[in-house]
Order: sequence, then C-alpha cells, then structure tokens
Amino acid sequence: MLVFIGKRLLWMIPSLFAISFLAFVLIQLPPGDYVTTYIATLASSNEVVDQNTAAQLRERFGLDQPMLIQYLKWIWNIVTRGDFGISFEWQQPVSGLIWERMALTLVLALATLVATWAIALPIGVYSAVKKYSIGDYLFTAFTFLGLAIPSFLLALVLMYVAAVEFGQDVGGLFSSEFETAPWSIAKMLNLLSHIWLPVVILAVSSTASLIRVMRANMLDELPKPYVTTARAKGLSEFRLLVKYPLRIALNPFISTIAWLLPNLISGSVVVAIVLNLPTAAPLLLQALMAQDMYLAGAFILLICALTLIGSLISDILLALVDPRIRLE
Amino acid sequence: MRDETVSRGVSRRAVLGGMAGMAALSLAGRVSAADTGGEAPALAGLVKDGKLPPLAERLPKKPMVVTPYEKVGTYGGTLRRGLRGSSDHNGILRMVGNQSLVRWNLEFTQVLPNLAERWDVNADASQFTFYLIQGARWSDGHPFTADDVVFAIEDCVKNTDLYSAAPAQLSVAGKAVNVTKIDDYTVKFTFAAPNALYLENLATPLGQHPTLFPKHYCSQFLPKYNPNVAEDAKKAGASSWPEFFRARCGDIEIPSRWGNPDKPTLDPWVVKEPYTGGATRVVMTRNPYFWQVDTSGNQLPYVDEINFGISQDVESLMLNVISGKIDIQERHISVLANKPTLSQNMKKGDYHLLTLVPSTSQQCQIYFNITHKDPAMRKMFADKSVRQALSLGINRQEIIDIVYFGQSQPYQAGPRPEHPWYNEKYARQFTDYDPDKAGAMLDQAGYGKKDANGFRLRPDGQKVFFAIDVIPTLYPDLVDALELVKAHWAQIGVDMKVNTIERALYYTRGDDNAHDAQVWPGPGGLDPMLDPRDFFAFHPQGSRYAIPWSVWYTSNGKKGEEPPESQKKRMKLFDEARSTADLEKRGAVMKQIFDIAAEEFETVGLCLAVGGFGIIRNNLHNVPEKQPDSWSWPNPGPAMPQQFFFTS
Repeated sequence: MLVFIGKRLLWMIPSLFAISFLAFVLIQLPPGDYVTTYIATLASSNEVVDQNTAAQLRERFGLDQPMLIQYLKWIWNIVTRGDFGISFEWQQPVSGLIWERMALTLVLALATLVATWAIALPIGVYSAVKKYSIGDYLFTAFTFLGLAIPSFLLALVLMYVAAVEFGQDVGGLFSSEFETAPWSIAKMLNLLSHIWLPVVILAVSSTASLIRVMRANMLDELPKPYVTTARAKGLSEFRLLVKYPLRIALNPFISTIAWLLPNLISGSVVVAIVLNLPTAAPLLLQALMAQDMYLAGAFILLICALTLIGSLISDILLALVDPRIRLE
Repeated sequence: MRDETVSRGVSRRAVLGGMAGMAALSLAGRVSAADTGGEAPALAGLVKDGKLPPLAERLPKKPMVVTPYEKVGTYGGTLRRGLRGSSDHNGILRMVGNQSLVRWNLEFTQVLPNLAERWDVNADASQFTFYLIQGARWSDGHPFTADDVVFAIEDCVKNTDLYSAAPAQLSVAGKAVNVTKIDDYTVKFTFAAPNALYLENLATPLGQHPTLFPKHYCSQFLPKYNPNVAEDAKKAGASSWPEFFRARCGDIEIPSRWGNPDKPTLDPWVVKEPYTGGATRVVMTRNPYFWQVDTSGNQLPYVDEINFGISQDVESLMLNVISGKIDIQERHISVLANKPTLSQNMKKGDYHLLTLVPSTSQQCQIYFNITHKDPAMRKMFADKSVRQALSLGINRQEIIDIVYFGQSQPYQAGPRPEHPWYNEKYARQFTDYDPDKAGAMLDQAGYGKKDANGFRLRPDGQKVFFAIDVIPTLYPDLVDALELVKAHWAQIGVDMKVNTIERALYYTRGDDNAHDAQVWPGPGGLDPMLDPRDFFAFHPQGSRYAIPWSVWYTSNGKKGEEPPESQKKRMKLFDEARSTADLEKRGAVMKQIFDIAAEEFETVGLCLAVGGFGIIRNNLHNVPEKQPDSWSWPNPGPAMPQQFFFTS
C-alpha cells in the first residue's frame, strides 16, 4: 500500500508540470493579451487609457517576451520560492488572492458533497429496495425535475423570491458585517446561515444523477447469490443491506471524489457568479477573461493538484471499502 | 455667494474664452475658517476626545465653498452603490476620485477652480500658473503644497522607470511638461509648445496626476528619497521598486489606487476596506481633512460612508436596485433594455430615475476600413460614392423605431445639435432612405452586375460581401441595429455579415488592420476637442476606418501609412486648434475640419446617441437629475457626491 502511495505521489510531479504548461498555453491562446483586454474593458464604459500607458504596460508585464520564456520564469519562481507571480489586474501577489478563495471553495465542495450524499444514498437505496413503489416513482419524478432545471436558473429564481418577496439578504456567503471580519465562531455561524442556499442549488442536480446510479447499482447487487445466502443465514434486512450490497454500490460515489472539485469549480461558475459567492470560480473566470495569466494559471495548477490528490484518496478509500479491489 | 455648482446658462463660448476673469471671481466665493459651521457628529466626537484637531485647524483658511444643488444638507448615512467583479476601479474614481487642480461645471461647459483657486495662462497658452488653496490638507493631516505637485510630475510622472513615456496629456511636441515651484502655493507648468486644451484636459480623469501623489508618503517608494527602497520592495513581496510604488501609490486608473488604505488622498472619502482581488465590497469613509464646505460653512462630505458592493453579475446588481439596496446607480444598468424593469419597480425600490445626456454623438458609427489590406476591398470602401450609396440604403427610421423605441433621430457625425459647433451638412447628409438612388449610385460606381441571387458583383467577379465586427456582450443594441441594416442592404444587392466577436478579438483585428468594417458609438458630441476620432484619423485604436493613418499621425510619420492630403490637412488644423487659446478662433479652425470631414464622408452613422439613465433613491438629495454621461465628465463625480445627503 505504502509503495503504491509513494509511486502515485512521484507520478504527480511530471503530471503537474505537463498540466501547468498546457494551462499556460491555453490561457494564452485567445487573441490579444492582458493589455488588450484591459483597454477593451475600460473602453466598454467609454473610458480611455492613455496611449503611452498601454505600451508601457506590455513592457512592464513582460508580455513582449516569447511565451516559453514567460512560462519558464513563472514555473521557476513557483518551484524555487513558492512565488506564483503578480496578478496583472490587481498588482498584488497571486498567492494573496487565491488561498482564502480556495479554502471557501473546498468548504462549499465538502458541504455540497455531504448534502448530496445525505440525500442521494438513502433515497437510492430506498428506491432500489422498494422498486416500482409509489415512493420510487415519486422520487424518480423529482430527481428528473432536479436534473432538468439549470442550476443558475434555480439560483436566480430562489434569489428573486428571497430578495423581493421576503426581503432577505441574498448573495455572498457572509452578512456584510462579517465579510472582512477575522475568523471567529460568529463568522462560522454566519457562513452556515448563508451556505445552505448555494449548497441546495448545487446539490439538486448532482443528487438526481447519483440517486439513479445508486439505484441501478443496488438493483444489480440485490439479486446476487451472496445476498440470498446472507438472508438465508438469518441476517437482519438492514445489516444485510449495509454490510454487502451497499459497500459495493458505493464504488462510483467514492471513485468520483476526485472529480468533485474541478466539477464544482467549472460547473458552479454561473451559480457562483449569480449568487456572488467569494469562491474560486468567479475569480478564475474573470482572470481567464482578462488574460490575467499568472492568476488563472495558479488557480488551474491548484485545482489540478487537488484533483490528483483527490484521485489518490479515492483509490485508497476504494481499497478500504470495496472488498473486490486489491492493490497487488 | 457665487453659485459654483450650478452656473446654468453660461455658453461654452463665454466660458472657454474667459478663463482669467473667472478665476478672479472664484476668490470671492470663499468663507473664512473662523465662521465655519459644523462638522459630522462622529468627527466632533473625535475632536472632543482629543483624537483629532478642531475643525478650524483641519480646514484651509479659505476653504472652497460648494453651493449645494438643492439645499444645505445634514450629516450621516451610508451611500450604497454597485461595482462589477473586477477592473471596475473607475466606478470608484467616478464617485470619489475627482479632486484635480480644476474641475468641470455641471453643464460640462466650463472649467472651474478646485484645488487651484485660480490660475494665469500666458498669451500662447504654453505656461499655466496655478495658485493652490492655502492650507488644504491630505487625508492624514499633512499640508498639500506646491511641493506635492512638483513631486508628482517631476519625480513620479517624468521618472522613466515608472513611466517610460510621460502620459500624453502632459507632453506636447514630444516633450514632457516642466513644473516649477514659485512659492509654497504657486506652481508653474511650462509646455514645450502651446497647449490651449490643457485646462480642459486637466479637468478630465486623466488630468489627475498633479494631485495624485503625496510627497511625504510616496517619496518613500522612490530610490531618490529612499536608498533602501529595493530591499523594502523585496520585503513587501514586490519584484521591483516601480512595482512596489504602483502597488502602494497607485495610478489614475488601476485597481491598486483603491487598494491601499494607508495612502493619503485629497478625496472626500478615503479607503477603509480596499479594492483588492477577491474583495466582495469596498468601503470608503469620510476624510476628516476634506477641504470643501457648504454655503453655511459645514465641512463636506455629508455622507459618512460609501459602500460599493461588488456584484459579479449585472442581473444581481439589478436585483439589488429594485429591492432598494442601492442609493444611486447608473453604471452597468443604464442600457435601454433595463428601463422597463426599473420603471416598473420604482415604488418597490423607492427610487426615481435620473437622465443621462450622452456626450457621444453617434449611437452606431459604421467604420468601413478604407485602408483595407485587400486591394479590391480597399478600392470599394475608399470609393466615396459607395459609402454614400450604402448610407442612402439604410432605413434609419425603422432602426430608431424598433431598436431605440423612437428615442433618436437620423444622424451622421459631428458635434450634437445643442453644441455651438454643430455642422448641419456633416450631421444630416445622406440620411434619407432612398434605395433606388443607392442602387443607381452603386451601378455607376461599377458594381452593377448581379449574381443569380440578386447580389451585386465587384468588377473582379466576386460578390460584394463584407463583415461588420460588433461586440455583442458590450453593445447588444448594435447587433440588433446591424441585423436591420443587413436586411436593408440586401434590398440594394449588398451582402453583409454581422460578425459578432469577443472584445479582445475585436481590438486585435482593429490593431492588425484585419477588419472589413467595425461599429462603435461615435464620440465627440459634447466634447469634440477631447475625442475627434471620427473627424479625422486621430485615434490608433478608435479611428477604425483608417487605423494605419492614425498610427502615422500619432507616431509623427514614423509608423503606419501616410494618409491622403485631406487627412493631413485636418491633422494640421487640429494641431492648430489644440494650440489656440481663443475659443472663437479655435471654433473657426474646428469648423474647417468638420467641413472637410463632411466632404470626405468617411464614416457612416445611423442615429444620434440615445441617452442613458440611472436611479436615485427617493431619500437621497442634492443629486442633479440630469447629468452628462461621459468619461471626460466622469459622472456622477462632477455633480459633487460630497454634497449628496440623506433624509431618513
């Protein structure tokens, strides 16, 4: 097991290099560079950049150099000093911008994961065991609805109802008095009182598909001989379910842990923007649109690193949970 | 008391001509600190506790008096406004950062004293002497003097490590201005050549450099004053001292200007919660040393704090507006499509609408690329009669009725009808809808043959076809307008593609001279001197009908492509106008430019720019309900938000 983990960790290093290079190239692929977008953004309010300034910006940010040089400089500073460079847009070190956002993103991801599982697991098991019952049909209908409604639309509707009909403070993850406050118990509670809305919205669609997966897996397992054997030996129905078929049916849940973070970031961009969430997604999108490449590159690099770590975790968990999987 | 804020009815002519006389007047409009009135309760409390000097010591001896728009206000409240995700730093600038040496009046016709209480201009407008308000202070209490102005220009703006070339405003004939200190409150700006527009430029946001950098604070980031600056920069995580300087002291229009609460400013409000990457809001709090008072001698601003909420999405900003969570907003929401929603919810949100008078001239200027790389296309677009025919082939009234709800009139280019330099021919020629005549003109020009589908063929046998670039995310109305134009032109046998593209690509195509045609709102309606890009090839990013010519102009003939005589004549005339102090003579020169431009007919316009709008909460007062909408008049700043106030 340890050897396996060690090997996997070593493989991550070249993977990360390859990913970072690809990310860097992709960010640069669209026409123009940061300065073009900067000028274009200001022009959108009919604001004018001093013409001398525009030329200087390019020179100052090193945008007049070849891409490979820009990349090597960037990666060298990360490897040697942990320095992710400067965000063009904010004139601020990138590292100062990303950590809190990434932390909040992880919190949101975990909360969504827990909520999704808490809803999907019992319902999935229930609809498998009580196949074609009224409850099964009811849940199935609801899950299809959940799958069909785009989450940004759900977000807009819920926000409109909350803001206009109930005068609630919507958007963001904190009340205004806590936005810039240091972390405290009160701020945590404030976060909890706000996070349910995005969690519900994000959980709705993924719950729907997971219920289907769970139901199908359970249906596969239930008629198998080992279940019949266990039942014949007098095991209670609940213990039987939890001990064998459920563990196997859990396999797709655990093996997708790694995708959760990239999915949440890419899948929730629109929701996060609509709800004004201070997570990584809006900042990443903005950085990509502005071609603020060090900021965008750092985000993508981190997300990829977390995905690699996530897939390692799911492999380890799978080995623990699924009795069929052996590492040797 | 002289009415400084609302000097209605002053004609532009009287204004721009009579600077000196006006400057003398401004002295009369000041009260002495001895009979000053009140200050905000919060500040009075601080004074009582000994944490802040008394008001009389914080204000200049003769503070600048602002006549409130409606009435003298009361202190208190937090003004809420919205910003968008990022790169919206100018949203803050427009609200609080307008404290230049001079400022605009409400009508956008006259330059008024601000931090300079008066000024002298020499005969050929190459020397400007500014007399600063005595005893004005930075927000940390340090006096603002001539040294700060000299420092800002000589040590910062002219420092080649910070600015490899001085900002365009401050250089004439390729040379940067020289600023010298006469005494503590007098500075002299000397240009290498006449620069008659300098006062007007100084009143625009890009003119803020002289009052941007406090010497006592920003000098610590320059090697000249602090030999250890390189180490300090490294300690702070910056890669070089210029980067360190910019992060700490900012510049006119970069986000980091609002990212450092330590930097002293001359603005009515100072940064409390900074605008940094990932910020979800920006909070500005009152400047206890602000140097303006109202007519009763009360120190401004009235409003305690400004809270800029940052919305990633315009729709959520709209939601905040209609649920009454924004006090004044026009930025981002002022597109015509939002007007019905905002009108319907006026009662719910407890607000009313404010009118914006566009300073732009043309709602949708079509720039055919006269300098096209493809010779056949170039020949077609460079043919004046082709452009005239295309103009005649557009049914403008239909576009106005359908896209602009009837709120406009057919228009080509040039100053708006209310401007004294309005040129009837330039503005209205070829705006009738006459497809028959258009067809005949195209036949005449050699595009008479048609293919099986009825589309015209060029002499080389290719179909007459071109694409017009437009940015849908930026100007959705222009896409609608162009779709109608496409239908109109199909009637006269011309095939056009509405090419919707992303904005960076739009700019790149323009920069590379790779476009057939592009559209943009045409500026110069109320400020023809500040942005004449439609009148001749003036702007290397904006004069999209001949980018290489404008590159030739701005690089003094070193780069780009040499333009034809009529362009060169206009360039010369504009240089002449720019150095003519006398407004009468300047107008005469500009009129020649409009006459030539009308004759050449380089751009094709659709209709006069349509006014925007904004919202004001009903309990917010002293807000002018009609304001120019311009970057040069960075609304609402020149309407002086420091004298806005709330009733509960």
